[in-house]
Amino acid sequence: MKNQELVDFLRSCGVCEVCQLRYLKARGSEYKDIKETLRKLNVKLNENEENGGSIPQCEDQPAKKPRLSVCSTCLGLFSEDFQQELLAGILNSDFAKYDCQKIVLAISLPMTLQLRQLSMWYALQRTFGTTVDGTNPPDVPVKEAVKLILHPIICEKLGKEYDANGLMISIDLRHHLEEDGVEKLVKLNKEAFPAKAAHQKRIEISRGLLEKQYQPSKVKAETFEKYFQIPCTSAEEPLKLQTIELQGPLTCVAGRYRKLSREISHTPWVLNGKRVMEDSIEEIIIRSIGPHFTEKPEKIIFMSSGREDVDVRCLGKGRPFVLEIPNSIRSSLSREQAHQMEQAVDKSGKVSIVDLQVVAREELSHIKTGEEQKRKFYRALCVLKEPVTVEILEKLQIPDSFDIQQKTPIRVLHRRPLHTRPRTIYSVKARVQRQNPKALIVDIVTQAGTYIKELVHGEFGRTTPSLSSITGKAIDIQALDVVGIDLDWPPEVDNSLDSK
Amino acid sequence: MTTAMEDPLELFYFQHDEQTICGQPVSPITESFDVNYPSVVDRFFTRYYYFKGEVPYQVLYHSNRICLICLAPDHPALGQGISSVTFDVGNVDRSQNVVKGKAKRGGMILQAESTLALLTSESGETYKIPSCIRGKLVEVNTAVVEDPKLLEQLPEGAGYFAILLPKIENCDAIKASLLTQEQYEERLKTKKEAGDT
Repeated sequence: MKNQELVDFLRSCGVCEVCQLRYLKARGSEYKDIKETLRKLNVKLNENEENGGSIPQCEDQPAKKPRLSVCSTCLGLFSEDFQQELLAGILNSDFAKYDCQKIVLAISLPMTLQLRQLSMWYALQRTFGTTVDGTNPPDVPVKEAVKLILHPIICEKLGKEYDANGLMISIDLRHHLEEDGVEKLVKLNKEAFPAKAAHQKRIEISRGLLEKQYQPSKVKAETFEKYFQIPCTSAEEPLKLQTIELQGPLTCVAGRYRKLSREISHTPWVLNGKRVMEDSIEEIIIRSIGPHFTEKPEKIIFMSSGREDVDVRCLGKGRPFVLEIPNSIRSSLSREQAHQMEQAVDKSGKVSIVDLQVVAREELSHIKTGEEQKRKFYRALCVLKEPVTVEILEKLQIPDSFDIQQKTPIRVLHRRPLHTRPRTIYSVKARVQRQNPKALIVDIVTQAGTYIKELVHGEFGRTTPSLSSITGKAIDIQALDVVGIDLDWPPEVDNSLDSK
Repeated sequence: MTTAMEDPLELFYFQHDEQTICGQPVSPITESFDVNYPSVVDRFFTRYYYFKGEVPYQVLYHSNRICLICLAPDHPALGQGISSVTFDVGNVDRSQNVVKGKAKRGGMILQAESTLALLTSESGETYKIPSCIRGKLVEVNTAVVEDPKLLEQLPEGAGYFAILLPKIENCDAIKASLLTQEQYEERLKTKKEAGDT
């Protein structure tokens, strides 16, 4: 089968030039200059096709008034008219309010399109015999051609780059013959693939099913022809652009927070419908950062590398956190804007954020993975019943690591399983407060997931050993500060620096 | 030459690290020191009491509804001295209790009068330790089997028999069925006065 013969046949069925190239298995850049590619493939150009887009009438159709007919295999999907319509539709939408430089297109095609490729496949087999394979389609699939042709054109016209993480433009296409086509397909499916047993699950008709099960090698042409014409009928109407929906990209903003207040929870704390604590770290941070990026701050997800209790401060460099912002309108943050947000949070006097920056979605793993291996640095205010002695202090200078066994503390036992967890304590160093010999300041470095308060007083013997059992004295903890977190991410950024 | 004024603790005095957050200097942790800070038990638990006949027991009720069952401070065994404790109460051994998951599935379901443990005092008397409340047995304190003196020595609460988890819907009824600290002290006073006459 020569290229010219194939093209002549396709033309006689009302197939447009782009689809002719598809059946010639053209690749990539070959679609840019259609006439040049056809010439290279030794195909004579049809004179009728000189005036952009006009397609010759199908031979077995009654003579009609010459007008721009629709390609019978792509239903106008690759026509210039459609491209204009698509671009206009996108520009008419909220497209302008998204600042993202990257886009991704998701076009949903009606199944009649696939049925038409199938019809053409049978027709080609009938006309050209065994040179046309029965298992592998003879054309470049429509989905692939869309990526090769439409994506680059749209990106170019909109001035954006194609990227899977960009603004998602969802295009819903319909066709007036779809309902009829699906009805016939259901009947065809019952005949071509009858359920072998009465209890066999009814197979759902889907694009995937069409792709996998429908080939000349699996379904006889005669069976197919009972419901669909071979080759496909010419269409009177092209594909209709039903809706265009936009979904902004997922933007991730990272930073570190410090917590000065002993009366603020990590996330909103609600009990029986009532707020227990007025505010939370999550809310303070989202309040200052969210509105810049999205119109729906309630959808933002707040994640941090561990957390501390309500009555525990977090000092030092601070605890790394990330905000996951879906459907974001803005996907970038200038140093100045970041600095302003940091200052706004500072005004609360309770929470402070630093190192604020936009990070790639792939970096989120820093926050969550390897949690168990991280080291945490604490300072505890501990209290004895009698004044401290040098002996007690010396017992609490432990530079070498040791292991403890912690049973689930009673304070969380109502909502956590009963479990004994081994933990490593890397070091302990105690100091005493001048003028207050019952007050000890103990610096402790532990493995992530250690309950510090229980480590100090031993919680009725359920944590062993404990500072209490090590010294043989009753020790209680009055206050706790987190003074460091062993995670070198996100990168330190001084947003107050002048960019000039 | 050492002087009488030399301080053995000199090497161990605390030095606060300066830091500024939110535009203000961060206060040292020592500022949180509170002479009147309540004990671990008083911070989280409310003390309730249960009488089995004339013998008093203490139920430490946590703010999250978990209960610790202990001897009340006026339990006669404390005066007699504690010899041994066992969780094998005859037809069942409470120390074989196993729980799984958040809901503590598999835990023995106890009523207020179910026997948790048997305690033998040095004077030979045996006391059946009651469960005091209706709930699921989460954990028994096997340490008191190995060292029964724990019940005499450690500050109250540390010497406990078992941890129970009542159902949320039963909590109000449970609290109503127990004596508060006030009611307990009243009852002891009345007993004493009755004994004096």
